[in-house]
Amino acid sequence: MTTPSWHSLHGDTLLEGIPHGVVVMDRDLRIVRHNHAFEEVFGPSHGKFCYQVYKDREEECPDCPARATFADERQRVLEESGLDLHGQTVHYMAQLTPLRDDGDEVSHVAAITTDLTTTKRLQREYQTLFEKVPCYVTVLNRDRRVVKANEMFRRTFGEPRGEFCYKLFKHQHRECEDCPAAKTFADGGSYTSQHVGTSRDGKPTHYVVSTAPLLWGDDEITHVIEMALDVTAVTQMEAELHRASVFRKALMENLLDAIVVTDENERIVLMNKAAEELWNADRAELVGKKAPAEILPKKLQQADDDETVLLHDTTISSLDGETIPVRLAGINLHEKDKLLGGAVIAHDRREIKELEREKITAERLAAVGQTVAGLAHGIKNVLMGIDGGMYAFRSGMQKGDNERMLKGWQMLEENIDRISTFVKEFLEFARGRKPEVKLVDPNRIARKVVDLFRDKAAMAGIVLEAELQERIPFALMDEDGIHACLDNLVSNALDACEICDSPDRRVVVRTREADGKLILEVADNGAGIDYDIRKKVFTTFFSTKGANKGTGLGLLTTRKIVQQHGGKVSFESTAGEGSVFRLEFPRDRLPSLDDDETA
Amino acid sequence: MERPADKTVLVVDDEPNVREYLTMILQDAGFNVVEAGDGREALELVRETPPDFISLDLIMPNMSGHKLLYELRRDKDLARIPVVVVTAHAGDEMGKEDLQDLLDNRMISGPGTYLEKPVNPRNYVQCVKRALGLEIEDAGEEKIDLREELQDSMGQASPEAMKKALEILRRSQEDS
Repeated sequence: MTTPSWHSLHGDTLLEGIPHGVVVMDRDLRIVRHNHAFEEVFGPSHGKFCYQVYKDREEECPDCPARATFADERQRVLEESGLDLHGQTVHYMAQLTPLRDDGDEVSHVAAITTDLTTTKRLQREYQTLFEKVPCYVTVLNRDRRVVKANEMFRRTFGEPRGEFCYKLFKHQHRECEDCPAAKTFADGGSYTSQHVGTSRDGKPTHYVVSTAPLLWGDDEITHVIEMALDVTAVTQMEAELHRASVFRKALMENLLDAIVVTDENERIVLMNKAAEELWNADRAELVGKKAPAEILPKKLQQADDDETVLLHDTTISSLDGETIPVRLAGINLHEKDKLLGGAVIAHDRREIKELEREKITAERLAAVGQTVAGLAHGIKNVLMGIDGGMYAFRSGMQKGDNERMLKGWQMLEENIDRISTFVKEFLEFARGRKPEVKLVDPNRIARKVVDLFRDKAAMAGIVLEAELQERIPFALMDEDGIHACLDNLVSNALDACEICDSPDRRVVVRTREADGKLILEVADNGAGIDYDIRKKVFTTFFSTKGANKGTGLGLLTTRKIVQQHGGKVSFESTAGEGSVFRLEFPRDRLPSLDDDETA
Repeated sequence: MERPADKTVLVVDDEPNVREYLTMILQDAGFNVVEAGDGREALELVRETPPDFISLDLIMPNMSGHKLLYELRRDKDLARIPVVVVTAHAGDEMGKEDLQDLLDNRMISGPGTYLEKPVNPRNYVQCVKRALGLEIEDAGEEKIDLREELQDSMGQASPEAMKKALEILRRSQEDS
């Protein structure tokens, strides 16, 4: 064994290049040189004695290995523990080498000191990482047997006991076709692939498996480290997401309502079959392009950015120019504050509109039918009045009773008057008039009616007032018609109050908006209607107001006008407490300006 | 033998003309008559001074005849007062159910318990008299009424029925 000469070690560069602490001491054990790596552990040591530096002692150690090296001039390696510059225990390995001077005498000893404390820590750290990392870590040999496994693996699969990797993970008896460990053994590279294994309780488990070679020098790879991450939960979520997406697509596609989804730049990203049909469009051509005005009409853009616009009764134009009645909703899609895009949902109302029109016609015909049937009965009372008049006149004449004759004559006159009023009103009712529809303020009509009856009510000592909901939207209505309806109801209510002796009598005209309906109400606390009369209120020319008060046509006319507006009349009444008559107009059934309907 | 002058009839109807007419007929037949314009007024009158007979309209404000009858029948004393219902609505949607209900619940029963408007004055008076057990008029007047009745039924008859009647009349003349 050749021993390097002291001079050959004499360069700072060489000394500093060694990644270990190096000191050179003379025969007195005094340190004459050391490198930076040494100083990092033991502090500046030049001129100090070896035992002072390594052990913080003031006397030479018994069995000093340096002394031995001076004596036998041999290299030796030893493990020792001492104290570092901070006073902490430090384990080190020292290799002592005798250095010869020019006269070939051993004049110095070099100690190459390796701090074992760091290595041990690293070992511990590596061990901890290996054990605690939250995935299955194993070391495989070339046979794919698991020679070492971490804590998580052992917890799940038990001690590997040299079992095959594929047996443990997959309950398989043969190596997997795409074994990443095999690839790593072959070329030393790292590989990652997905595998489906079987958990201990037999459930399929999804893994992402990575392998890396464990290298010991330049030798052939004898072991591979394999990490398997259980991604079953993620895979399940992916599958769930996929299912949800398939479900959503099928739902959208088969929905009867038309749906168009756009991105934040109003480019169409999705259009379902119903939308294709409604707008008579070819989605293959439209998707990816900016939505045309037919699909994204201006009326949907009027709303605030974060609001959903819902237009119950509106129209759209198809791409070939057809006007289609729809219920239209525009939705802005947000994720937090970011606008992702929008959706337009359109419900085709052509069929419903047709049905509604038919229903309104049918209701109207039914009302006319009932009215005609009622006419004969309504006339009976008049006929009896005429009979009475004739009886009184004739018997008065026979008896020479002038007063009775006069009474008879009066009765005849009255009833003939009633007949002519009756016929006139009936003709009016039957002929009707073409409603002149325009945008009107329902509150204005209500106020006008209240003004009209104010004097009459005051004279009868009845309070008449209006309770109007503020800012009710205007409605397309026949103003005169609605006026006539309220006239009738207010007039009835005043009559109901007049035949009742309560001291605090009042009639209230109300307007309000609820559930997409415009509601007009006339309430009174007058006589009310008996249960047995209530059900007949609309069926015939019915009047309980006594002679010269009404023909019983008022409510029928009211109902007819309300029906022309797509609405209905209802009422609640309790004998002795009063009545509420209610006209309800669903906004989406109100006539439109282009409705060409005649009464 | 009791006479109409011993009896008081309450006429209940909301139509003043009808009320006056019925009153005249009854007064001409010799009855004492009181009037009421609706059910409630009638109930008050009946409770004050029970009449011997009530002529009752069904459909009226404040209290219908239907309801009034139920009120009267609940009271043991008033329940005995005979009633004839005079209605314009015996056969139509408005009155049929009420009338049927009254008949079904025996609120009114027996022949001549309801008359349909317009009423024949003679039938009306006979109906009241029968219910009160009074003597019905002599045959002289009967004849006149027969002619009236014939006229009535002719007014309602179909042309086919008239033809048939005419044939029967001719045949009976040939036979005699």
